[in-house]
Amino acid sequence: MSGRAIVITSGKGGVGKTTATANLGLGLAKHNRKIVMVDGDIGLRNLDIIMGLENRIVYHLVDVISGRCQIRQALVKDKRFPHLCLLPASQIDQKEAIKPEQMQDLVTQLKEEFDFILIDCPAGIEQGFRNAVAGADEAIVITTPDVSPVRDADRVIGLLQQSLGDPQLIINRMSTQMVQRGDMLNQQDVLDILAVRLLGIVPEDEEVVVAGNRGSPVVLNEKSQSGQAYERIVRRILGEEVPIPELNGHGNFFHRLGKLFSRR
Amino acid sequence: MAWGTLVQKLFGNKGSATLAKDRLQVVVMYDRLGLSAAQMEALRKDIMETIGRHVAIDSERVKIDFLPVPAEVTITAPVRRGRTPSEPQKQQAG
Repeated sequence: MSGRAIVITSGKGGVGKTTATANLGLGLAKHNRKIVMVDGDIGLRNLDIIMGLENRIVYHLVDVISGRCQIRQALVKDKRFPHLCLLPASQIDQKEAIKPEQMQDLVTQLKEEFDFILIDCPAGIEQGFRNAVAGADEAIVITTPDVSPVRDADRVIGLLQQSLGDPQLIINRMSTQMVQRGDMLNQQDVLDILAVRLLGIVPEDEEVVVAGNRGSPVVLNEKSQSGQAYERIVRRILGEEVPIPELNGHGNFFHRLGKLFSRR
Repeated sequence: MAWGTLVQKLFGNKGSATLAKDRLQVVVMYDRLGLSAAQMEALRKDIMETIGRHVAIDSERVKIDFLPVPAEVTITAPVRRGRTPSEPQKQQAG
């Protein structure tokens, strides 16, 4: 078997990388794929918490890389899907504890056993980023429709293009009401700036907070808007043609009139 | 839609998203080129001087734009009609 290694990254912190990784992992597992999620955020691990697996950790990524244990021993099996595993980060080491080549070797080994290797990248563009990207074949960039995250996403896209080629984009926390009011960048605005392929849009949704509290990601909740959005993204990753619903608002009469006036 | 928003739209008041996009286009341009605002201004001056040596241009209105797709830099330099670079002095003298 040779799996696909996908790094989930953003540049800016707090835009939803870890949440996205958890949801994509669970979503892909729902489609019966063998998945491993690697928490690349050494020193600030959180994927275990989001997944509700924090009590099951014995060994971690740095243990594996420094030969203190076998990969198999460090993998935490998900309680919902036995074919979904988490390789947790170390909470006490520094990002410098591993090198990009070591990460590359590890991912190569994981590819033999899993269909997808999802690597949760830390914020920033330093060593942690370089480690997380080293083993990946492709990248997903997450941003929210705000000025700083889009700017940082642009930086990261530039760096990724030098090694992995064009990443795909997920726009997170989009609010239809704010877009309609003209107070939030819409999907086209973001794409005009970043000029990459859009993989999906996840709406702003209070359920994400509840899911975080429970350790039960939204993709497991079929009624939630954001969960449905992640499900569509998962199907796109699997190669299905799933249209991206317009979250821009349909542009009612006054909205369009306003746009007309605001043109130079 | 709230009345406030409606009034805002009717009077052509832009929401803050337009401002966000404009600001982003500028910072992203600097980031991609690896230039600071000061360096960008120096580039603008150089371009202005070079073009100005051959064509009379409205130096106040020279604009440099960076477009992401396809990636290109566009220089807009409005040409003053009916003058060549050597003429202004003559006109002033006359």
